[in-house]
Amino acid sequence: MQQIHPSPLTHSLHLEVPFETSVHAETAVKALSPDPILKPQDFHVRYSTKGSLLCIDFESVDDRVLRVGVSSVIESIKTVVETIDEFS
Amino acid sequence: MGKPLAVYNSPDVENQQFLVDLSKERYNTTNGKTTGPSAYVLEAGQIDVDKPSDPKLNEEGDFTYLSKLRMQLTGLQDDINEYLTHRMEQAKNKKLKQADEQRIKEEITKLLDGGDEDDEEQEGESIA
Repeated sequence: MQQIHPSPLTHSLHLEVPFETSVHAETAVKALSPDPILKPQDFHVRYSTKGSLLCIDFESVDDRVLRVGVSSVIESIKTVVETIDEFS
Repeated sequence: MGKPLAVYNSPDVENQQFLVDLSKERYNTTNGKTTGPSAYVLEAGQIDVDKPSDPKLNEEGDFTYLSKLRMQLTGLQDDINEYLTHRMEQAKNKKLKQADEQRIKEEITKLLDGGDEDDEEQEGESIA
């Protein structure tokens, strides 16, 4: 029986967002990480921090999926940033 | 303050950087060009109820650090969206061109092979 191999995630984008403090960067990771990825076979997201820097690595099968996924995550980051701004 | 940045890679593009340029308006607003309703919808009278809030000011009347970050992210998001949309259009045009070339090639082959006989037969049948 022939196996179907998933498409390779050949398109990537690395995003760095400098927060004021490491606590804010870690808060962002905690807020963003639970969001489910609708098509994990086509799109991956990894969140990490380096001090106050939030680092996000996106991988995707093509530009279209990457555009949708990246824009959606940036929209969420802006909401997180605005929320922290309002409550700090 | 540090500024957000992004780096794009694909099989045919290596390390395409997206950097914030504070001298440009797009990095100094919370209203993105590629997010929210289209200009056509707004011109038709639609009110954008999900419009992003304006940047927050501190006690000195300056934008807060996080407001500046949100504005810079908005500009960066526009840059990435426009770049990837352009690449998607290029890929689509390339695909259409290849399909068109293939169609012409097949039509020429069909004509050279005398493949138009079937059409003549069908036309004859329909007349009868």
